[in-house]
Amino acid sequence: MKLLKPTWVNHNGKPIFSVDIHPDGTKFATGGQGQDSGKVVIWNMSPVLQEDDEKDENIPKMLCQMDNHLACVNCVRWSNSGMYLASGGDDKLIMVWKRATYIGPSTVFGSSGKLANVEQWRCVSILRSHSGDVMDVAWSPHDAWLASCSVDNTVVIWNAVKFPEILATLRGHSGLVKGLTWDPVGKYIASQADDRSLKVWRTLDWQLETSITKPFDECGGTTHVLRLSWSPDGHYLVSAHAMNNSGPTAQIIEREGWKTNMDFVGHRKAVTVVKFNPKIFKKKQKNGSSAKPSCPYCCCAVGSKDRSLSVWLTCLKRPLVVIHELFDKSIMDISWTLNGLGILVCSMDGSVAFLDFSQDELGDPLSEEEKSRIHQSTYGKSLAIMTEAQLSTAVIENPEMLKYQRRQQQQQLDQKSTTARETGSTASVAGVVNGESLEDIRKNLLKKQVETRTADGRRRITPLCIAQLDTGDFSTAFFNSIPLSGSLVGTMLSSQSSPQLLPLDSSTPNSFGASKPSIEPVAAAGTRPAGDSVSKDSVNATSTPAASSPSVLTTPSKIEPMKAFDSRFTERSKATPGAPALTSVTPTAVERLKEQNLVKELRPRDLLESSSDSDEKVPVTKPSSLSKRKLELEVETVEKKKKGRPRKDSRLMPVSLSVQSPAALTAEKDTMCLSVPAPALKLPMPGPQRAFTLQVSSDPSMYIEVENEVTAVGGVKLSRLKCNREGKEWETVLTSRILTAAGSWDVHRQVVVVKEESLHSILAGSDMTVSQILLTQHGIPVMNLSDGKAYCFNPSLSTWNLVSDKQDSLAQCADFRSSLPPQDAMLCSGPLAIVQGRATTSGRQAARLFSVPHVVQQETTLAYLESQVAAALTLQSSHEYRHWLLLYARYLVNEGFEYRLREICKDLLGPVHYSTGSQWESTVVGLRKRELLKELLPVIGQNLRFQRLFTECQEQLDILRDK
Amino acid sequence: MAKVSVLNVAVLENPSPFHSPFRFEISFECSEALADDLEWKIIYVGSAESEEFDQILDSVLVGPVPAGRHMFIFQADAPNPSLIPETDAVGVTVVLITCTYHGQEFIRVGYYVNNEYLTPELREHPPLKPDFSQLQRNILASNPRVTRFHINWDNTTDRLEAVENQAPALGCGAPLSCTPVKGLGLPGCIPGLLPENSMDCI
Repeated sequence: MKLLKPTWVNHNGKPIFSVDIHPDGTKFATGGQGQDSGKVVIWNMSPVLQEDDEKDENIPKMLCQMDNHLACVNCVRWSNSGMYLASGGDDKLIMVWKRATYIGPSTVFGSSGKLANVEQWRCVSILRSHSGDVMDVAWSPHDAWLASCSVDNTVVIWNAVKFPEILATLRGHSGLVKGLTWDPVGKYIASQADDRSLKVWRTLDWQLETSITKPFDECGGTTHVLRLSWSPDGHYLVSAHAMNNSGPTAQIIEREGWKTNMDFVGHRKAVTVVKFNPKIFKKKQKNGSSAKPSCPYCCCAVGSKDRSLSVWLTCLKRPLVVIHELFDKSIMDISWTLNGLGILVCSMDGSVAFLDFSQDELGDPLSEEEKSRIHQSTYGKSLAIMTEAQLSTAVIENPEMLKYQRRQQQQQLDQKSTTARETGSTASVAGVVNGESLEDIRKNLLKKQVETRTADGRRRITPLCIAQLDTGDFSTAFFNSIPLSGSLVGTMLSSQSSPQLLPLDSSTPNSFGASKPSIEPVAAAGTRPAGDSVSKDSVNATSTPAASSPSVLTTPSKIEPMKAFDSRFTERSKATPGAPALTSVTPTAVERLKEQNLVKELRPRDLLESSSDSDEKVPVTKPSSLSKRKLELEVETVEKKKKGRPRKDSRLMPVSLSVQSPAALTAEKDTMCLSVPAPALKLPMPGPQRAFTLQVSSDPSMYIEVENEVTAVGGVKLSRLKCNREGKEWETVLTSRILTAAGSWDVHRQVVVVKEESLHSILAGSDMTVSQILLTQHGIPVMNLSDGKAYCFNPSLSTWNLVSDKQDSLAQCADFRSSLPPQDAMLCSGPLAIVQGRATTSGRQAARLFSVPHVVQQETTLAYLESQVAAALTLQSSHEYRHWLLLYARYLVNEGFEYRLREICKDLLGPVHYSTGSQWESTVVGLRKRELLKELLPVIGQNLRFQRLFTECQEQLDILRDK
Repeated sequence: MAKVSVLNVAVLENPSPFHSPFRFEISFECSEALADDLEWKIIYVGSAESEEFDQILDSVLVGPVPAGRHMFIFQADAPNPSLIPETDAVGVTVVLITCTYHGQEFIRVGYYVNNEYLTPELREHPPLKPDFSQLQRNILASNPRVTRFHINWDNTTDRLEAVENQAPALGCGAPLSCTPVKGLGLPGCIPGLLPENSMDCI
């Protein structure tokens, strides 16, 4: 046995509460106290294992550190797959970390480059449920569940496949729960608590199997943790702190009948942690001796408050080894390497020890097959832990299916290699957004930057997203255009109270500057512990208001500027939003003035660049002075843009009419630009514009004239709408009091599609206005209303159908990101996309915000996708129909909805044998249904569960082809 | 946990004449979509001796901030020379970029700024009254000083708790009450504006 204490593994002297070795043995994680937060560090294993690596400067020791936990981290655990790391701490949170592959090593901005994170581990889920410190977390044997226990007396079982879903909350302990362990076959989970009990829970129904109290009767709640462990063969459960004849023990509990006849005795103080070796061993076969199969045995490490560590073999009566005085303080956690020959031990004293055993000492480890054979012979196949993961073992029945599966694997491999390549060249990866290099973006950032004004007149910049996080769980785009009242309150209150803060702050730089020895500014930058004493100082400052500005003024000697500045870097300002509080009154006024000027200057740009986001905020229905001004400006800009358009009247109305008829294709770009500013689009405008002309395409002979208030019939003002194309004119009269009615001609075919269709049904009873009308390529008129709804006219039914609704909660809740094909994420243009605008990208926040259960979200997503398919169909946009149909199918496949999937396939396939009575049409919006089905097949082939469906469709398509 | 971490701040157009605007390109990363906007501020320290001469050059709201990496350019006008003490016009001073969320400052990036005359003659014999039009501003871009503060990112529950923890004198803690808080002089009275130390006692 070799013993090593790698001194470089430390949290700067702060206690380390937990250690866990990654399943692949290349790294390990420690968790504990950081400077002023919890800290998780991932370390490289090879410098621990090999002395050469330890000395090699090029081999990093620390791979990544995360100080995101607000308070001490009590437990870190790798998932069995090694993909995730879970950490739980005093901040009541469990964070699940995943390695981000798209970025390479990075430094922390502002640090001297030493703290480079070699690997990037990113928090993908934050699990909030516990109301007290989280003491222990444990992944179930097949990573399907994550359990956590807390001082709130509960154990929570999380669905590790769909974080943050909670499967069960185990209540029953009446004291702080301080340790957890899963049964290796997944049938039970055991927890130990300060209430002097150890409870075993069934995973089948999450109910209590048994509660063991006898060995703990004499125990006091004296240990920080009670990490118990289950033997790898499942036969024994070993508790932490138990008492036998007033001596501390680790109680052995047999699975058979939960008998408590044996214990590990010898530690002088309470046992804090027990950890079984993951391997089952058998006696080393000695040369020459008969190959008599000896009984397999397990190996167990026990750590205690008495600072000593013991290692036991279940075939020996005495410990294999006991190491005293290994640490200065209590042992907190133990982790075995997966090969079973090494252990890492951590202690409250902030150090870590590594023990390396040889096979001669422990025995021959059984292979995984042998181990699972033992499991199967003892317990049979456990159904409890059959998960999705095990579907991969299902028999593939169809060679085609096999082909698809193979191809899929190949693709995954390709993807992996490309991502690997990408990580090599770090800068280039994140550096390309929409085909633009980061450099290009940088150059144009200021120009492109979207700047708006909030209701209270403040500048608001919409940041440019340069990379999305590869964390599938996150909603990527949550655009909240309404400022929450909370921040407003803060602003108002703080601007009220800030004058009082003014004198307080000024005292701090003074005291700082005086006490600091004079150092070069740059050197000072490095030496000063950032933010260390800040909070204290600020408290001092606030509590002693007497030491205010006068003292500064009376300081006679000129303080060296560097030193004085020093505090400025680290001193948190008390100035709060919206209030230029630290400046005196005059500058404030100046600022205000300046700002007002800015408002004026910025407005035009504001308009041009504002996204629909800002438009929504402008009160559309109220013609306030603001919007009037906007309108005027708008007119100017439009005029600039569209020179040479035929003008009949003196003033042009900027009504965006994006017509997508073939003739208008050249003009599409322009019209698209114009379609943005919504408030200007009230058709017809009451007020100054009596008449206006609309250019439909670049072809000057085609335009629409609108004359307002032409006639008055019984007090109702009417508008005349003329459409002119190559000298021919059509005319219609619009009633302007309802504010709209639409006449739409399919100009290309010169057929009147819609004529005087009443819009009463849509507009009745509300003061909505039409903000935009457009024609699709197929001559389907689409109308956007000011309330964000969009209708399209369905000629066959002569009705207006709702195709898009910005307030639609379905769109907000739907989350189908996982089903998006990687390349063309959201990149589907067409009439539907234009109509819905940003709506397609704006949703997806719901699950996180409102913690909607997964089932509900499934339903909403399905409903949303279905309505999208239907909308694309009514708009006769074949391209989008295909896009949404495939997306819908992919979602069904991913989520495993067989019935609906089968329905789609049935419709696409149609009757194999032709019959006259069949209503089935072979095409839909110009697409051949069977071609669509062929596209669908590989999608279906991705889920083995649907292999029967896959085979059916495949075979029938083959039959059809042969015909 | 800190939801927003600043990845980089690039100082653009540096060095530049004293009167030209400050321009910083800020890239940051957000781990979880933020409910509210971030507020960024540029503060110009007029004199090392007193915060009295600090000028907030500009403050902007940045949002919406979904999870991911983002960047924007923060531009602010040059400081008002008339507010800078004449003795401090030439020489080294500091410009600060701060970011707050819910009124709590969580990062502060400081740069040393050196203002000096371009021509050797002026350097040798600086005019008694500083001539700002001749001054050149040079930001020591290679050495940012970054200070991070732990703040309360989740407004909902914690904020409620925070309000409850306040002294009963603050009965007006209800939203939208603009009553000036007297005597306490602590920003902590404002919901979501807890100083760090009081978070510990929650």
